[in-house]
Amino acid sequence: MNAVEAILRALTVILCAIGAFYFFIGTVGMLRLPDFYSRTHAATKCDTVGAGSILLGLMLMQGFGAITLKLIALTALLLLSSPTAGHALARAAFRTGLKPWRSPEHTEGEDAT
Amino acid sequence: MKRALTVALLVVVAIPLLYAVAQLPQHGSPMTPPYTHISPRYLEKGPEEAGAENIVTDVILNYRGFDTNGEVTVIFTSLAAVCAVLLGSRKGDERPAGEPSSSAVPVSDVVSFVVRLLSPLIAIFAVYVMLFGHISPGGGFQSGAILAALVIVTTVIVGRKQAEALVPVRIRRLLQVAAPLTFFVVGVSGLFLFGDYLAYPKTEGQMWLATAWLIVIGIGIGVGGAAVLASIFWTMGDDS
Amino acid sequence: MSRAFDITLLLLLIACALAVIQTKDLLGAVVIFSTYSLIMCLIWQHRGAPDVAMTEAAVGAGVTSALFLVAISKTVRKEK
Repeated sequence: MNAVEAILRALTVILCAIGAFYFFIGTVGMLRLPDFYSRTHAATKCDTVGAGSILLGLMLMQGFGAITLKLIALTALLLLSSPTAGHALARAAFRTGLKPWRSPEHTEGEDAT
Repeated sequence: MKRALTVALLVVVAIPLLYAVAQLPQHGSPMTPPYTHISPRYLEKGPEEAGAENIVTDVILNYRGFDTNGEVTVIFTSLAAVCAVLLGSRKGDERPAGEPSSSAVPVSDVVSFVVRLLSPLIAIFAVYVMLFGHISPGGGFQSGAILAALVIVTTVIVGRKQAEALVPVRIRRLLQVAAPLTFFVVGVSGLFLFGDYLAYPKTEGQMWLATAWLIVIGIGIGVGGAAVLASIFWTMGDDS
Repeated sequence: MSRAFDITLLLLLIACALAVIQTKDLLGAVVIFSTYSLIMCLIWQHRGAPDVAMTEAAVGAGVTSALFLVAISKTVRKEK
């Protein structure tokens, strides 16, 4: 019993750490990446993987019960809504004519815009 | 001369005001009446006296019913005024009816699918918040805002013309005044049944009636708020 | 710990408020303003007022942002 609890607690900590790491990566990406599309990509990663693994860790900590059910619903909502928001943003940007970023070496040969 | 008179008048006015401020109880002090009598009374007796387990609902709809009544009337009147102003500014350039949404980007299938998938759940949540405001956190205003958000999202997906056609203008006008109207109806029925405007039943056997009235007011405020916020969005978003 | 959380949230709130004033791009200002509403919602929840938090999230971050966006789309995006 105690060993199981300890393992669950350890898994919770690991999953939350993974989540925090992804949030960090996402924030760095938001600040460092060159254009709108890659920044949207970073932000969406934050929401899905980061928040998803934190919620998974919390579920492991709670065990079976009403709270876990709510957390599952929350995760499902997050996994549905966040990629949709990212998709909508990127699509709107593309349809209104925002060109994706190309690295300078690539654009030299072509029409340099 | 005039200046001296002004200064003298200001001083004469200022002294009583400062005196009155000095007489006020210290801000946030635990010895003020709200902390010594009122809060404990609400917290202890609220559920059995006012008809709702959620004490926030007790306070805003029962103990402070008059305040909320006036507040709701003022808010909904101003929202109706906003609607009227927006509608008036729109009259000049009437666009041909039946024109599809003219936004630059057509609606994405993915977004449309996810919104269609989630909107029933949002609606259920809004109705839950509306009907269970007397037990769990929530109530009329909250559910009205959630419903309005749902209406706005759906409008973005299906287009304004189609969404607006669901609620004809004549019904919409009635819905917009639903919140003050339910307050008025409940208040007047209190006048007839218990002898006072907005009086709630107090005796042990009639508590279900008080709870029912709280729910009715919650429904009124929720529907009214959603209708007004959605109409503002519809009126503003004429060509988007 | 709880106090540190509160103070962090309040500092973020002030930063957001200042950013809203400073931003010249009105669309960006609306986005920052909805962030402000979300932080405010967290503060309400943390102070034990879930009713207000719910209203703040739905009205402040949802409906108001949508109305602001429509207003911007009908006028101009840049502050003069």
